Amino acid sequence: MKNAVVLISILTVAGFAGPATAADETIAVFTKNQTNPFFESVRVGTANAAKAVGVKLIQYVPIKPDSIPEQTSQVEDAIVKKPNALLFIPVDYKAMVPAIEKANAAGIPVTGLTDRLAGGQVVSFIGAEDYRLGFETGQSLLKAMGGKGNVVALEGVKGSISNTDRMKGFNDALKDFPNVKLLTTQPANYQRLQALQVMENIMQTHPQIDGVYTANDAMATGAVEAMAAANRKAFVVGINGSQEAIDLIKAGKMHATGSSDPFMQGCLGLLTTVRALRKMPVQKELMVTPVIIDSSNLKQYDVPVTSRVCPKIEDVAAK
Amino acid sequence: MSQIEAAAPKFKLTVSRDVTDVAYRLLAVALICIALSLVSDAFLTANNLLNVLRQASLVFFMASGLTLVILTGKIDLSIGATVGLSACVAATMIKSTGSSWLGAAAAIGVGSIVGLGNGLMVTKLRIPSFIATYGMLWVAQGATYYYMSGQSVYGFPAGFRALGSGYLLGIPIPIYLMVAFLAIGYFFTKRTTYGQQIYAIGANTVAARLSGIPVNSRLNLVFVLSGAMAGLASLIYLARLNSAEGDIGETLTLPTIAAVVIGGTSLFGGVGSLFGTFIGGLILTLILNGMNLLNLNANWQPLVTGLIVLLAVWLDMKTRSKTDSN
Amino acid sequence: MSERGLAQSMSVLGRVPGVAFVLVALVAVFASMSPGFSTAPNLTNILLQSSILLLLALPMTFIIMTEGLDLSIGAVLTLGSVALAAVALATGSLTVGFIAALAIGLTFGLLNGWLIAWLDIPPFVTTLGTLGIAQGLCLVITDGTSIVGLPSGLQFFYSGYFLGIPFPLVIAAIAYAVMHGILYHTRLGTYVPALGGNREALRHAGVNDRVVLAVIYGIGGLMAGIAALLLTSRISSAHPTAAIGMEFDAIAAVAVGGTQFERGEGWLLGTLLGVITIGVLRNGLNLLAMPSSIQVICVGLLVIVALFFDGMRKAHE
Repeated sequence: MKNAVVLISILTVAGFAGPATAADETIAVFTKNQTNPFFESVRVGTANAAKAVGVKLIQYVPIKPDSIPEQTSQVEDAIVKKPNALLFIPVDYKAMVPAIEKANAAGIPVTGLTDRLAGGQVVSFIGAEDYRLGFETGQSLLKAMGGKGNVVALEGVKGSISNTDRMKGFNDALKDFPNVKLLTTQPANYQRLQALQVMENIMQTHPQIDGVYTANDAMATGAVEAMAAANRKAFVVGINGSQEAIDLIKAGKMHATGSSDPFMQGCLGLLTTVRALRKMPVQKELMVTPVIIDSSNLKQYDVPVTSRVCPKIEDVAAK
Repeated sequence: MSQIEAAAPKFKLTVSRDVTDVAYRLLAVALICIALSLVSDAFLTANNLLNVLRQASLVFFMASGLTLVILTGKIDLSIGATVGLSACVAATMIKSTGSSWLGAAAAIGVGSIVGLGNGLMVTKLRIPSFIATYGMLWVAQGATYYYMSGQSVYGFPAGFRALGSGYLLGIPIPIYLMVAFLAIGYFFTKRTTYGQQIYAIGANTVAARLSGIPVNSRLNLVFVLSGAMAGLASLIYLARLNSAEGDIGETLTLPTIAAVVIGGTSLFGGVGSLFGTFIGGLILTLILNGMNLLNLNANWQPLVTGLIVLLAVWLDMKTRSKTDSN
Repeated sequence: MSERGLAQSMSVLGRVPGVAFVLVALVAVFASMSPGFSTAPNLTNILLQSSILLLLALPMTFIIMTEGLDLSIGAVLTLGSVALAAVALATGSLTVGFIAALAIGLTFGLLNGWLIAWLDIPPFVTTLGTLGIAQGLCLVITDGTSIVGLPSGLQFFYSGYFLGIPFPLVIAAIAYAVMHGILYHTRLGTYVPALGGNREALRHAGVNDRVVLAVIYGIGGLMAGIAALLLTSRISSAHPTAAIGMEFDAIAAVAVGGTQFERGEGWLLGTLLGVITIGVLRNGLNLLAMPSSIQVICVGLLVIVALFFDGMRKAHE
């Protein structure tokens, strides 16, 4: 079965693109930074899938985290190198549009990943609805609180699309729980230390906090540490489904984490890109269903990223 | 020879300056506290004040080593990256060996090695400290990224975490550590020959060299101490956060320098004190605390910090030129 | 004049080893290892990517020659970009937006100059303070989001051509020529090294050193305003943290180029080479698909190695 697919793809590629064979395909993968475990999981997913279908990968990561000028330069440099396709997570969904337009102009196909670009041409977009993720994670928190009590929210980087959508989702979830009071929403920029300190300060003004909603797991862990050090307890939820959050849930210190499965996003992103290159049909849009990981379904997600396996390339379009 | 004589009275002057500088700063802290307690009920509680001091301790550990460097008229831009590298090495060490002591040794060792590298670049290769430590910033940051490869390391033994989140007699342990290091630092800078030599180098390096002070070895010493203190800060960080990842140090350097500057240490060297730095860190922490308590938009924070830096130094210039003319 | 010219060319020769050696070595390595490197499109690409940094590094050379420093220039560039976008969006006119960017740049430059020259606040502290102010304003004005939807004519300034030459290169060349002219052929230019090396003598000669300092920092701000036009055009938007930290890249380029942090010794051509060297390094490492963490270390080593060569040369003299 697998052999047949490879054979067909070689035939199709040979038919269309001349010299390129499967082994010659190179895909440039762009992620936002090399510090957030989320993007490492994405990269592991792309590498896993690339190995299975026999394409070469080049990973481009800005050396200053989330730097717009730098990712722009990296796209320009990649265009010089002429990879067969780009798999692209923009550091900013608006500011990276001109760079992608350059790739479009150079005739290099682009697959969008994780954050949807505000413009430019993409072959396909693979991601998760951050709004839904925020909504469902928030819902899980508010239900755990029994639909009443006080909640605080820690925001990520203001203006980033992921933060905007996750906060919007949470605030909408809140509307269904009239007995829950949102005490305050404060930014902690997706960072641990800031989340810890902001949480410590918030606890001073609010003696009773029953739930904490954070827009990523790093902030959730900061909030967990702050509460623990003050001997206070609250339901804490985060987003990303990181191994660290899973371990905290296992230990009973955290309630849940909403996962958009970065590993799977990496797999699907790469496989879709390759499908498009090999002229196999692709979907315009492929959304990973958000999963809320809590103590009830913990087991099936408690698997290290490096030992997970991507789906087969022929199964991707059907998904 | 006349230069040496000129250097001596200059040093005496700095001591009296210290007293006035610190007095002004205590006054500023008092004013901020009064203002915050008027607008927020939660501010003037024992809990919150301890909370502020605990947060200030992290800044203090990073800023105290840096203060020594700045007192000699040099700068250390690698401080945040050093904290990041030390934290990540120590975290892995604790996880793999289970020993907090080995982790602590690793953090302080890595910090000291980075500091020694800075010192040697400045004293042996004659690279200006601003550039040498800027280069080191990238090297240490890159080493951290390489070492961590995008992962985080977390979950340390309870005994180790007490260092950051534990209490003794109702007071957080980092506060004891801060007070201890403040006392040691005071003794070191004001009561030992080393300390006096550090001030003298900053006041006039040429005169210090002529008067027989081993300038290069003292410079190496302050850079090593700066790195070692960054290593210590990284332990407090780990113990408080119970987790390490590659981006720890990125945003720490400029606020640390701001704390030293707000504390009254002159970037020309020779003037300033560790106690001033402690207060500088305290002022920065109070601002964040106040903004959180009042639920203010945190976007204003860099702007407020910038204004305070300018105001603090301007007031110093004012009061010091008066002291000088006396 | 001829004597000065001769001394200049001598000192130019004496300086060549440091940065030029590194640049030649890098070009040789990349050209042999990466086939795409030495193509005309890629070399143009490197120059284009370097143009914004050059606009910051040129005035930074002046400032460092006066024994000063400008840490605020990256934040001022970002604020200029935010102002350009906000004003252009509000008025519908790019020209008015550009004037706003220039005005922001000039205001911050002169503010730096005033704080440094009249209030005697050290340059490092002054610009650390104004960095915070500019960065805070960026965040407050935009509330963290990008400003988009700018007039389409904007793209010309980064992607357009003038007489067949990419427009940013035209701007960079003019900026270089003007700054070279100021430094080496005007009276103001002779004051610049004197401000660093011998301020007392300058004062005795009846020169108002404060005004000169303010002018130099003002030029820095103005250049940041021009750079804001290129940056905004490059990303077709303004983002509140787009160029944060670029001041350190500029300072590194100046240092790599052989300008001294004391004694007022500076070299504008060195700065140009420094900027290009950094551009070549980053581009080459990307073409070689070097892992990002190794790239970070390489940038640090470049700075240290270039300065090390400089130190060796100084030791020989």
